[in-house]
Amino acid sequence: MGVLVAVEAVVLVLLTLLVAGLLRSHADILRQLHALGAGLDPEVVIESPVALRPRGDVARANEFGPAHDIAGAGLRDDALLVPVVGVRHRTLLAFLSSGCLTCRAFWDALADEAALGLPDDVRVLAVTMDAAEESMPGLRELAPPDLPVVMSSDAWRTYDVPGSPYFILVDGVSGRVQGEGTGVTWDQVRNLIMQAGDDMVDMAREAQVDRELLAHGVAPGDPSLYRRLDEPEPMTVEGATRP
Amino acid sequence: MNRLAAHGLAVALRTGWEGRILRRATTVEHEETYGVLHLATFPLPEARGDFGAGVTELMRSPDVFVVLFEYGPESLDSPMFAPRGVPRLRADMFSSKRLQRPLPGQLGCQLFFTEGNRPFCLYVVAGSRAYLPRIVAEVNLVLAQLEIVL
Repeated sequence: MGVLVAVEAVVLVLLTLLVAGLLRSHADILRQLHALGAGLDPEVVIESPVALRPRGDVARANEFGPAHDIAGAGLRDDALLVPVVGVRHRTLLAFLSSGCLTCRAFWDALADEAALGLPDDVRVLAVTMDAAEESMPGLRELAPPDLPVVMSSDAWRTYDVPGSPYFILVDGVSGRVQGEGTGVTWDQVRNLIMQAGDDMVDMAREAQVDRELLAHGVAPGDPSLYRRLDEPEPMTVEGATRP
Repeated sequence: MNRLAAHGLAVALRTGWEGRILRRATTVEHEETYGVLHLATFPLPEARGDFGAGVTELMRSPDVFVVLFEYGPESLDSPMFAPRGVPRLRADMFSSKRLQRPLPGQLGCQLFFTEGNRPFCLYVVAGSRAYLPRIVAEVNLVLAQLEIVL
């Protein structure tokens, strides 16, 4: 009898451990799903945008690739060709769909252009899959009347879009992608755009410094760019660094 | 070059040109609508009139807006549509008095013709006289790429 009770106790402990393990695994899965924008709890706010990896497990390189113009069908028996390269402005390509629940918040946000808080040089273009892969009545209901919408599965393939919603910012002057990513709220996407803009400013400033140094005969590797070992540390006066 | 095609119209566009081909929805019974082509060197707004209402006020001096508007077959016998083939532009065809909606500095040009047994109006708005030679040359390059199919 005592042995039986002991065996039952061991089995009970093992079952308890198994259930606890399953619950933890389930919680991890839910957390991952939510981070990808497919969470079950719409009230939970994710603090930062999620950076997706467009090509399987290979992280996208720091340098973004060339951009391509967008062509396809519109929502009202029309065809569109929207240039994003060789134009004066930047274009935010919003890859959305009629079926994704997370996209609904973005369709709503894009209805009020003034409230988007985007820089003046950014134009928004919604890109969906072709009509065969979308619900046309759904898109016509969701798409704001002032928002250009192009249906182009080719564009999704060309830009390696991993899923919806996904956003790609293209610089029309350089013809290159300036940044990309996703989020669950418009604020997160707007931060992504602002960050991409800041990065461009930093790169432009760095290029300007390089040009000025070159103009004065200071090329990469010039000894004057480096501090000699016997050179004293720069002096600091009241918190400022003196060269 | 990028290609845009719909409603029996097709055109290849150079870098930086935006294009739309649409056909308005009918509003009354037995009404028929036909293709309208809009081309521009600047972003086109979604709310646009066929002949540029809501559009031309967004243009800058170097910009151009092109409309190809198809009429119904009842217009085929009209003398206005007698010229055959897609026309080419010259700078002297433009005037501020040929604008549908006069705006300071802008110039317009309107030509009627028939191609492929389909009657059309070609309407072009240039942003300024200063850029007119370049605008005329660019639009003629676009018109050379225009295909009107039966």
